[in-house]
Amino acid sequence: MTFYLSGFRNIPKLWKSNPYFELGPATSSAPFFLCAIGNQQRWFSVKPTTPPNSKALNLLVTKARTHRKGNDNNGQVSSDPHYFAAGAAKKRSHIGANPQNQGHALPVRSSVQLPTKPLNSAEWDKLKEDFKGKASFEDFIISQMARNCCSVDVAKSLLAWVAAKNNGIVGYNLLVKYLYLCVFHKQTSEVIDVYEIMKAKYKSLESGGYTLLIRGLIHSDRWRESLLLLEDIKKVMVPSKKNYGDCIQGALLHQDVNTAWSLYQELVGHNLIPPLETLKAFFDYGKDINDDHYSDKLLDILLYLRNNQLYPGESFAHSIKTWFESIPGRQWKGQFTTIQKSGQCSGCGRTIESIHLSPEEYEFLKEKIMRDVIDGGDQYKKTTPQELKRFESFVNSCPPFDIVIDGLNVAKMFSKGRESQNLLGVVSQLAQQNLQLLVLGRKHMLRPSSQWRKDEMEQVQKQAHCFFADNISQDDPFLLYATLNSGNHCKFITKDLLRDHKACLPDARTQRLFFKWQQGHQLAIMKGFQKSKLTFQHILSYDTVVQRTGDSWHIPYDEDLVQRSSCEVPTKWLCLQRKTPGPC
Amino acid sequence: MNVTVRFLRPFARCLVPYTFHRKRSHFYSGVLQRYMSSKAPSLSCHNKDSASPPEQLELDGWKATMKSSIQEDGVSEVSDKDEDSLATTRELIEMWRLLGKEVPEHITEDELKTLMECASKSAKKKYLRYLYGKEKAKKAKQAKKEMKAEAREEAKRARLLETTAEEQQQDFMFLRLWDRQINIALGWKGVQAMQFGQPLVFDMAYDNYMKPSELQNTVSQLLESEGWNRRNVDPFHIYFCNLKIDSAYHRELVKRYREKWDKLLLTATEKSPVDLFPKDSIIYLTADSPNVMTTFKHDKIYIIGSFVDKNTQTGTSLAKAKRLNLATECLPLDKYLQWEIGNKNLTLDQMIRILLCLKNTGNWEEALKFVPRRKHTGYLEVSEQSQELVRKLKKTKTLNSFRKGSLNARTWKR
Repeated sequence: MTFYLSGFRNIPKLWKSNPYFELGPATSSAPFFLCAIGNQQRWFSVKPTTPPNSKALNLLVTKARTHRKGNDNNGQVSSDPHYFAAGAAKKRSHIGANPQNQGHALPVRSSVQLPTKPLNSAEWDKLKEDFKGKASFEDFIISQMARNCCSVDVAKSLLAWVAAKNNGIVGYNLLVKYLYLCVFHKQTSEVIDVYEIMKAKYKSLESGGYTLLIRGLIHSDRWRESLLLLEDIKKVMVPSKKNYGDCIQGALLHQDVNTAWSLYQELVGHNLIPPLETLKAFFDYGKDINDDHYSDKLLDILLYLRNNQLYPGESFAHSIKTWFESIPGRQWKGQFTTIQKSGQCSGCGRTIESIHLSPEEYEFLKEKIMRDVIDGGDQYKKTTPQELKRFESFVNSCPPFDIVIDGLNVAKMFSKGRESQNLLGVVSQLAQQNLQLLVLGRKHMLRPSSQWRKDEMEQVQKQAHCFFADNISQDDPFLLYATLNSGNHCKFITKDLLRDHKACLPDARTQRLFFKWQQGHQLAIMKGFQKSKLTFQHILSYDTVVQRTGDSWHIPYDEDLVQRSSCEVPTKWLCLQRKTPGPC
Repeated sequence: MNVTVRFLRPFARCLVPYTFHRKRSHFYSGVLQRYMSSKAPSLSCHNKDSASPPEQLELDGWKATMKSSIQEDGVSEVSDKDEDSLATTRELIEMWRLLGKEVPEHITEDELKTLMECASKSAKKKYLRYLYGKEKAKKAKQAKKEMKAEAREEAKRARLLETTAEEQQQDFMFLRLWDRQINIALGWKGVQAMQFGQPLVFDMAYDNYMKPSELQNTVSQLLESEGWNRRNVDPFHIYFCNLKIDSAYHRELVKRYREKWDKLLLTATEKSPVDLFPKDSIIYLTADSPNVMTTFKHDKIYIIGSFVDKNTQTGTSLAKAKRLNLATECLPLDKYLQWEIGNKNLTLDQMIRILLCLKNTGNWEEALKFVPRRKHTGYLEVSEQSQELVRKLKKTKTLNSFRKGSLNARTWKR
């Protein structure tokens, strides 16, 4: 075991001081070292003393890990947000995962030292001689400069050298990268020079060049020409949302509001989603002007956010707040808050919109699920027509359910215990509360085996309605349909995030409806349950979306430091309300 | 004397040595600088001895040349005014090429039109990259061909010099007609397979699940499978079922095989396999099947779906088998191989080679050699008992099957 220890001591050193790591004599053993580090780091993090033997050590690790898991869970109960809260999935995935050595990026070595000051041609020649590589030297060096954001003068000296060698001609690729540097350093006069050159030299450019020119020109007096460039792009393809965003910002910088709005309309008309910075720019600009027409349009943007379930970032939220507060005479008051579990804003106490779908939306979603997720043009893909008929008649013969359980998902949730035992545990706990239950499963669950005991399955069938699909059919679509068919009060239990079924839905709007319904109706069992009382992840009672209630706005926003995956919603809100006009 | 001439404009009217001394990089306003540099062709000198500080470097001269060189060739470009979108797209591609992007150098009208029909930007880029790759491969092939032709010429010349001396005194038994003999022999074997061979069905009912490119890939794979089958000791009798006349499939196959299509020793039919064979002897091979194939059965009819699925429409062939109520099986890849990456779906030619190998030897290890090596790390240890079984099977099989080397001997006998 001393071997491990000594080996281990050395490895971090190797890891840190490894400019030779790729090139040094130890190249052949590098992969071995890497994996060794992976293993030993884990041991080390748990118990830094001399390990007695590796087996015991592993035991220790697992113990420590489960222990920590328990702690985490306890901690979560108090502060735990709901299942779909921003960052929750990441947290879930981190629980139990060993702390890995992240952030150890190997240093990227470039074969040529980038110059820090402009060089003359002899120096460039010398540098070129030193360079050995596949690409052409000029191309390589300017790419490196663009990557490291060198100063414009250095790049300029390179171009001068190239031009001198090349009869005064500089290639397009070099020009574009030079342009990138100019734009990056906001050297507007240089941008204009390059623009002149490009305009004269080439009849038309490509999208990358146009994009850079637009971005560079909007800060200058000749910003209107960026609109012409936008027109040029349109001849061949739809401009990107960034192109539009830049043009809009240029227009706003130069107080041309009408152009900005018409560009915005065009952008939305192309079914592009405007960049949030652009929307923020509208709000930022709105502070200075006092125009009802303009503020109506800003409210339209908020509605757009609502309809497309977009959430502003933190700085955007600040801009919205300042804009509202800057409206004279209305006396808006904004504050950053959270929403309580009951669905009430902690700031003003108003109730946030309910998560439940409207009856029309509900019917629409039900039909879509039936047609696109279960049937999907070929009933044999997920089930068979016979089975579908059997299921429909079964569902119609039963009273509406309160809870639909994904039997296999629940049974496999806990690693301890038989699968049938786990299922029975959950079912009997729920049955005690006098709920109408439906357990969905597959036929193989009925065949007695080491995991599925017959008596336990019989007890399950006594306490709940059961439907067993064929072994090669999918059970999730049945789960969705049974829940939807039972009505709004019905919930379902599974830990599956159902993303693949969401993906079967035809358009974004239906997918959003599905997601909203899922947030309101999915019960996820908390980890760590074993023989204790069944607890579920908290279900949201309110919908996380930009909303207006009479005199107030509630706007959820993303914090800058929290990463949110697409199946989660933000937890922080901006609450805006109008002060009631006081008696004075 | 250390004067370096930075650049000499050939059309310079006056060769006045002109030196720029920039005090500050931002000193000149753009306009002034442009005015000056357009007036005076820059022909800068600078002194190397005085360890030139950056301020003295002449940095903006190239702009003038760039701009003025334009005014000359700019004239020629003005002439064509009517810019329809095709021409602009062509220009765009040209600019992308200058930028070093992966786009083809030459593009035909048809390809341009296909490009314009691409729905999205990424589809366009993908198509351009495909054309680029195609062009590159074609060029490389052309170059190789030329090189070979040259070498052949060389060798011919060398031989001409040599062979004049020592001449024909050798005895031969056969004329050099090997290729033709082999083809005839394979033809005989194919006819036998048509009469007595075990059927193997390719189900062609997937043409509306595939895009044109996938369909072309499928047809390539079919061609290759047919070739492997033809060369085998004991070929299958191949059926192309559900092949609709004048469907995209049929057209592509005829286009590839040309006049050979009508002379192929296989059965192409519009009928479904269910109409041709008894239902209970059919086994549909699909990777999605829950049943694992244990042995190759010589009295069964195996169906392979001729379907290249790049869109991950999982379960399409399983759904088809379910609809027709057929038995399904999948290869025991997980049982024998340590699977690493990639799809469990194999290409059609890999499938037929595995099946042919199984048919002739019944040995799974041998047969699964045709699974691409990149997909698995190696063979799994099979338990003693099953190995024993395999060995027994092998013994019985090798008695009545032919060895590989015996191909020619056997065909000559007939």
